[in-house]
Amino acid sequence: MEQEQLFPLLCATADGEKEAFAELYEITSPQLYAVVLKMLKRRELAEEATQDAFIKIWHNAGSYQRGKGTVLTWMVSIARYRALDLMRYHSIRNEVVLDAEDGPPDDIGPSTMATREQKKLNKCMDELDQQQRQAIHLAYFNGLSHHEVVKHLASPLGTIKSWIRRGLQSLQRCLSL
Amino acid sequence: MNYLAEERRNALAAEYVLGTLRGQARRRYQKLMMESQLISETTWLWEQYLNGLGESVPPVSPSSAVWENIQSRLGFTDSEADNQKVISLYQKRSRRWRTMTGVAAAAAFIIAVLFGTSEPPVTVAPTHIAVVNNADAEPLWLIEVSPESLTVRSTAKLTERADKDFELWMVPANGQAPISLGVLPEDGRWDRATPAILLRPDIAALAVSLEPPGGSPTGAPTEVLYISPLVSV
Repeated sequence: MEQEQLFPLLCATADGEKEAFAELYEITSPQLYAVVLKMLKRRELAEEATQDAFIKIWHNAGSYQRGKGTVLTWMVSIARYRALDLMRYHSIRNEVVLDAEDGPPDDIGPSTMATREQKKLNKCMDELDQQQRQAIHLAYFNGLSHHEVVKHLASPLGTIKSWIRRGLQSLQRCLSL
Repeated sequence: MNYLAEERRNALAAEYVLGTLRGQARRRYQKLMMESQLISETTWLWEQYLNGLGESVPPVSPSSAVWENIQSRLGFTDSEADNQKVISLYQKRSRRWRTMTGVAAAAAFIIAVLFGTSEPPVTVAPTHIAVVNNADAEPLWLIEVSPESLTVRSTAKLTERADKDFELWMVPANGQAPISLGVLPEDGRWDRATPAILLRPDIAALAVSLEPPGGSPTGAPTEVLYISPLVSV
């Protein structure tokens, strides 16, 4: 899913070309759906978030600009925000129905397609303290709140907040190098 | 610029994007973004930092109802002509799969006989298998699917291609476009949790395509090499 491939499709979408939008959907929907499914756990909610995200993408395609990241990053952002809204709206509590894993999927191997930015991100995440990384992963992939991370990692709220805050600071330092 | 203000701005943007900024604070932040270009730009920066994580989650195809609902909510379905054009995009890609899956179904029986009884016992017994053969009927990969795990083993007959990758696809029975299951290992084993799409009842076959390194650049198979039915055991 390269920027060179997605950007023309998004431009055509902004011009109201439905075929381009259909193709954009076909290429990107499995990625967006996977992200929101991991957060929301329930298929019907993940489908709702995906639908809402693509409706927004159709209407807002013209407001995309390079400063917002790659087209895929921009689309993932829209989908994640929608999933976070739905979690709040449906008062989804994540403390019980966690996946066995606490982190990103293990099958990210050298064989999957990774951009240079992703490789750098993975490297910088790897450099974080294990606790910081785990707390950020739980919040990012599973959509956990501070309080839910507290229950999951069995540490006090202040500690969790500080792991996340300091982890994010270190991440920024590493990424902006 | 005030260092503390910058640190605070980054901290808020980061937790907004991460999702840990909640409730009233989240709503206040959304209002701030509308008022301040600087805050919006800081948020975009953090979207770029963090949302690469989301791009590493293995893709899962949503059901076709999702696309149908999007079309109907956007009013695409009002105009019959436009609708046809959008639908034809899918059909163009899927037509050749229908003919191929006929051949695949015919081969199912033979494979079931060959492999159905000779499998050694494994920890989690597969419920379905597929054997991907080359044109000389030599097996290249053995694929076993259980509700928990997907195992792929390549055989000695497989010739590695340094400049290419092989990608595995699920071909839906309804004639829709194939769905990627990932790039195949060219040596050794591939063990992973079973993707949800492999548990669907409407699977026509599995297919292997030849792709540039890293897998299909388009989301559709570049050159289909082999096709194999997924047989229950």
